[in-house]
Amino acid sequence: MIKYLFKRIGQSIFTLLIIITVVFLLLRLMPEEGYLGTNADKMSDIQKETILNNLGLRDPIIVQLGKFYKNIVTGDLGKSITYRPDVKVSTILAQKIPYSLCFGLVAIGLALVFGVSMGIIMARSKNSIFDKLGTGYIVIINAVPAAVYYLVIQLYLTNTLKLPILFDKSNFMSWILPAISMSLGNTAGYAMWMRRYMVDELNSDYVKLARAKGLSEKNIMVNHVLRNAFVPMAQYLPASILYTIAGSIYIESLYSIPGMGGLLVDAIQRQDNPLVQGLVIIYSSLGILGLILGDIAMTLADPRIKLEKSGGGR
Amino acid sequence: MMSYLDVKINKEVVLCVNDLKVNFKLRGQVLNAIRGISLDLYKGESLAIVGESGSGKSVFTKTFMGLLESNGYIDSGSIMYSGKDLAKFKVAKDWRGIRGKEIAMVSQDPMTSLNPLKIIGKQVQEGIELHQNLKGAQAKKLAIKLLEDVGISDPEKRYYQYPHEFSGGMRQRVVIAIAIGCNPKILICDEPTTALDVTMQAQILDLLKNIQKEYNLTIIYITHDLGVVAKVADRVGVMYAGDIVEIGLADEIFYNAKHPYTWALLSSLPQLGIKGEDLYSIKGTPINLFKEIKGDAFAPRNPRALKIDFELTPPYFEVSKTHKAKTWLLDTRAPKVEYPKALKKLFDEWEGYRNEK
Amino acid sequence: MSINGKKIDKLGDNISDSLFEFAQFDNKEAEKTGYSNYSYWKSTWNSFIKHKVAFLLLILVIGILAFTMIQPFLPYQKSPTEIYINAGTNLQDKNVAPSAEFWFGTNSIGQDLWARIWSGTRTSLLIGFAVGIFEAIVGIFIGALWGYVRKLDVIITQIYNVIDNIPTTIILILMTYILRPSISTIIFALCLTGWLQMARFVRNQIIIIRDREYNLASRCLGTPTRRIIFKNLLPYLVSVIMLRMALAIPTAIGSEVFLTYIGLGLPVSIPSLGNLVNEGRILMMTPTLRYQLNFPSVVISIITIAFYVIGNTFADAADPKNHV
Repeated sequence: MIKYLFKRIGQSIFTLLIIITVVFLLLRLMPEEGYLGTNADKMSDIQKETILNNLGLRDPIIVQLGKFYKNIVTGDLGKSITYRPDVKVSTILAQKIPYSLCFGLVAIGLALVFGVSMGIIMARSKNSIFDKLGTGYIVIINAVPAAVYYLVIQLYLTNTLKLPILFDKSNFMSWILPAISMSLGNTAGYAMWMRRYMVDELNSDYVKLARAKGLSEKNIMVNHVLRNAFVPMAQYLPASILYTIAGSIYIESLYSIPGMGGLLVDAIQRQDNPLVQGLVIIYSSLGILGLILGDIAMTLADPRIKLEKSGGGR
Repeated sequence: MMSYLDVKINKEVVLCVNDLKVNFKLRGQVLNAIRGISLDLYKGESLAIVGESGSGKSVFTKTFMGLLESNGYIDSGSIMYSGKDLAKFKVAKDWRGIRGKEIAMVSQDPMTSLNPLKIIGKQVQEGIELHQNLKGAQAKKLAIKLLEDVGISDPEKRYYQYPHEFSGGMRQRVVIAIAIGCNPKILICDEPTTALDVTMQAQILDLLKNIQKEYNLTIIYITHDLGVVAKVADRVGVMYAGDIVEIGLADEIFYNAKHPYTWALLSSLPQLGIKGEDLYSIKGTPINLFKEIKGDAFAPRNPRALKIDFELTPPYFEVSKTHKAKTWLLDTRAPKVEYPKALKKLFDEWEGYRNEK
Repeated sequence: MSINGKKIDKLGDNISDSLFEFAQFDNKEAEKTGYSNYSYWKSTWNSFIKHKVAFLLLILVIGILAFTMIQPFLPYQKSPTEIYINAGTNLQDKNVAPSAEFWFGTNSIGQDLWARIWSGTRTSLLIGFAVGIFEAIVGIFIGALWGYVRKLDVIITQIYNVIDNIPTTIILILMTYILRPSISTIIFALCLTGWLQMARFVRNQIIIIRDREYNLASRCLGTPTRRIIFKNLLPYLVSVIMLRMALAIPTAIGSEVFLTYIGLGLPVSIPSLGNLVNEGRILMMTPTLRYQLNFPSVVISIITIAFYVIGNTFADAADPKNHV
């Protein structure tokens, strides 16, 4: 297992390296005004060149790459230019992450509880009214763009339930709508997968043998099917949790929550290149980390999987 | 193996099937899988049901436990067990006292029959706890004893292992242990050795024979392998196209078969082949069960069919008290028929055997 | 209960002796089995129709598609971009509630909402179809190479891993940021990641085709590869392509709404569903003007749900296991 872990981490670092390089090169295509700050149009050409030179943007690409890698390793993601001038990107991130993380964890918690239960009930009472309603819910959440239903929720629920629209750290009520909105998507996802896996398990041979043994349907559900259906889910859980750090762009902006999600939007709107760069790297790393953790979670859940031989595309 | 005298003495019937008809709904059409089978099962015997793939052997026994696929149903007929008609059971609750407790099944594929994520010890123990009123440590002790009985070495350690840590033969033994753990009266073995290699086959069959003696079971073997039948069966029923065309003691079927289909099956045994000549094979393919069958189902493939075989379904003709066959050849008006060449040797042995008695 | 075997006494009298002669053995009769007129596509269609909801939605979608195409040519239609001046006040016809003249009302600069919505739908559908087709072509091509040519397997797998790991939203945002928003940018950005899933699927199918026993057996019998691909791979492919194209529409609409939201959407001069929702959002606090949010939302919901349901139902229907 340890040997596998090392190999996996090595593989992932390699992939990450490629991603970072690609992102780096892509970002060099970004408009240069992003580096010059808000006074860009008032600067003379010489001033612009100086700034760019100081930032190392006129060096040959290879040199820039090299410096970039070095900086990443030391945790230096550069300094923000337009968003919070001269503040280190890493500092900015450190302030934003807690909010997104908090909401994200609550959202995942809700989604797990409701989504998994929903999926189980749907699988048990397949084709009943409840199943159809549940499916309807999943369809709506999956098909309609999130932006639309988040808006609808914010609009109509704040009015009818008299909940605050803007987020305020101290006001507990203002936490409710954003958290619930955030959990909707994941709830639908977990419910759908749970139902699908359980139905698959219900059709397998060992369930037929269990039935022949004389076990009641309820017993089979609880002791055999449930546990087995969870295994494929385990692979996706760590990734979902990590993504909550990324925050939800819509929700944070709709409810004015000072989290990570809104950061990317702001950075783009203000054309703050180093910030955009740093964020993209963070998100990609989170993704890869989620994958590794997911694999580990799978081994823990499924005793058949021996990781030493695993390899190749996921 | 029992002689026909033994069977006469132990004539207690445990399961009685009467004119059972089973259909399947398939893509809007109706498939007549079982076309009116009547059968008595005697206590303590080993009954083998032989037939080609698709003859309906598995479907027939699945009805005893209510394990038909969702598009299958019992059209008519009855299955009497302990005074109850199993054919009338509709809901899972009805089956609660029967499955496992009275009738248990060992199925064909040990690879997929076991829950891959549960230790096998627990899977054996489940049946014990459910049907034998033991819990916890006592149940575990019995589970370990069962594992030992079925021939798994080091049972205390292997109790904690997962199915993927066992070989095919070992897994089949575990499945047998699970079935025994339920303490049934009737054990249905659906092609228990088909997925195993020949050496393992012999071992499993011996194991089943021993278990039958020790636990006083009645066993139904479903198989297409006559070799298996020869090893274990007291009585043999030959199935074709959803009907039992011939049934009798094992000796009677092997050495004195009367139905052309049984002849064809026996002739197909490679051991009866004559060196230098082509091996025998039955012409044609099994009949289409979607249509109503007129007359004898085997008639189109039977080179020795009578005209009446295409018109009227033959009833059972008695050959002896324990042996009957559904063929018009046994009618007094039927012409005398030559046995197939390869079987002659076999049947001459029967003459000798009968004369001994 | 036991069974009586001897029944011939009752029957015996009615049967003539001539029936007890040997019959002709017919080889062909022996071989006769049921003809299975199983047609894959017919079964798929039947399976699909059984879902009444999906079927209705299919009709609805066809209706909507037809309507969006015909709409500009119907009488009484207004131009989506023209700003209407009220004859009476000589000012822009801003924020007029739904009326006989403006069926969905007007927006804050006086443009007809009804025409804008249909124009926006056309745009989104265009994006969706373009992406869907592109995904299909590129996805199949690369997937086939990936599966067939073993040497390329490692390289393409690495590329796949890299692209797969960068969240789609990031790529969308980056692309739009760099290339500046326009219809072609969105199509480009969506295509960049869309082909991945299709390629992966095709690659897996090809590997299965290569190695599954029934295909090996088929090859042993001399079946040309062409026929294996046509009869085994293609039915799967067509259904998957249809599914992905059906799902590409909601995805395209969703992405477009998303981008508009963060300010990287299509320019306001091009009416799009995303723009409309955004404009509606700004005014949503005023109850009388809520229609500007409601109408686009309803239209978006209907279209996305319809395509999603149709796509998934079709995928289920195309699965042979459901053909019983």
